[in-house]
Amino acid sequence: MLKIDHLTKRYDETIAVNDLDFEVKPGVVTGFLGPNGSGKSTTMRIILGLDHPTKGDVTIDGKKYENLKSPLHEVGALLDAKAVHPGRTARNHLRALAASNRIKPSRVDEVLEFTGIASVANKKVGGFSLGMSQRLGIAAALLGDPQVLLFDEPVNGLDPEGIRWIREFFRSLAKEGRTVFVSSHLMSEMALTADQIIVIGRGKLITQGSVDDLTATVQGTVLVRASNLTTLTKALLAKKATVQSTSDTTISVSGLASDDVGQIAFNAGVVIHELTPQRASLEEVFMELTADSLEYGASMPGDVSHE
Amino acid sequence: MSSDQNLQAVVKSEWIKFRSVRSSVMGVSVFFVLTLGLGGLISWAVRSHWSQTSYADKVVFDPVSTSLAGILFAQFAVGVIGVLFITSEYSSGSIRTTLAAVPNRIRLVSAKLIVLLLSIIVVSEIVCFATFLLGQAVFKGVVPTASLGTADVLRSVLLAGLYLTLLTVLGFSLGLIVRQSAACISIFVSVLLILPIIFVFLPTSWQNSYEKYFPSELGRSMMSPFPSAHHLGAWNATVVLLIYTAVVFGAGLTLMRRRDA
Repeated sequence: MLKIDHLTKRYDETIAVNDLDFEVKPGVVTGFLGPNGSGKSTTMRIILGLDHPTKGDVTIDGKKYENLKSPLHEVGALLDAKAVHPGRTARNHLRALAASNRIKPSRVDEVLEFTGIASVANKKVGGFSLGMSQRLGIAAALLGDPQVLLFDEPVNGLDPEGIRWIREFFRSLAKEGRTVFVSSHLMSEMALTADQIIVIGRGKLITQGSVDDLTATVQGTVLVRASNLTTLTKALLAKKATVQSTSDTTISVSGLASDDVGQIAFNAGVVIHELTPQRASLEEVFMELTADSLEYGASMPGDVSHE
Repeated sequence: MSSDQNLQAVVKSEWIKFRSVRSSVMGVSVFFVLTLGLGGLISWAVRSHWSQTSYADKVVFDPVSTSLAGILFAQFAVGVIGVLFITSEYSSGSIRTTLAAVPNRIRLVSAKLIVLLLSIIVVSEIVCFATFLLGQAVFKGVVPTASLGTADVLRSVLLAGLYLTLLTVLGFSLGLIVRQSAACISIFVSVLLILPIIFVFLPTSWQNSYEKYFPSELGRSMMSPFPSAHHLGAWNATVVLLIYTAVVFGAGLTLMRRRDA
């Protein structure tokens, strides 16, 4: 288990992480959400002992990263896919990493095979596309078969097939009882990938909870285009839904899932032409949450932590 | 876990890294070619002009330093190898991957130092003995030669290799402090090359009192079989260069431990 304990990181005037406090549990995929510059990467770097916190701590099963006896066996991380010496081949990059943690060389071929880059293993990393680099980074993270996995924006640069592959992969890792911590600035992506979500903005925790919890609060809007909007609106209002007219032929319904809206329309004898759950609203809520924190931060540069 | 990380494992990892990039392989090749090529060329030039050489020049002729002259150029090649061994980690960002795998920074820097020291001292000594022998072979029959059987000659050649090795470590230590390849190489070249040039314009008494402490002049003392005027003896020069290296390395290690990656 990963524990972020009242973590604060200050760089001169700016405060990148502000009293961040949460836990990442094993067995589920935990999404780490925030707009660019909200402190996700800084947090990831502190978890890995790359940056020293100004205050607070990060522990992995009770231990600090720098005190891990065999780091790659305990934590696997993909921070920046391009952070590899461009002149080295993928295999040599992995061989060196494996050697440093006494991982047997045959494991290098296993992870190359698993991530689908075995055919380019002897090519220099400098010539890799971002997608290939991401796969190499994932291969490196898996080398030690660790219980805790961290991925910073892993879907960047992946093609749709790669994105699907990585989602399945995260789920399977979590199903094996591992701790999977994935950052992203895309709420929609996390909604599909993560079970638990932690939202931060301006280095502060904004909200956390299961995806179901979060979506329940926002997934009220369903766009409906139907033959008889007046009848449908009445029926929906009777079911305590909130209805908003969005155009002459459409309404926006909140407080009900799309299945329920369809059922109500059927019962009311209204023919539905279109029924669209508004995924964008998820994004909107995220934007709203984080925009507040951005505004707050922008008006108070050098915001001081609670001491 | 039975396979806890240790220094040996990290040395192995750094050795793989050292061998698997072109900069080290190229650096070592350039080092070989420069030292042997220039040493041979200069020795040949001396031989072919020996009959026209004045008596005064003949008296002070030193077959050891002359055969090792290529080192004056090669010292930049080894310095760059040392610098790039650490700065390339920062320029590519791979230092983050490296530190995630080896969070114990003292262990990481120690492993890098061991790989650098061992590989460069072996290569340097081979190169220095080879260029010495090449020079003597060129001189043979025309110009006076030196023999490794003479203690001071053997010492000069051995310390020439040590001088290059310490310069490599100096470059590496500068890299730990400065982190940027270009800036680091500039500083390295300035100290070795520009500093002595600046001193040419300063009063002679200053030159005589301070110049002997310049790394390049320490090197000259180390690889010369005879002590020169206003220069330190070979072993004193070695100790001073060791102190420089230790101080810069110590500063680099301290910063490496304290700073964010």
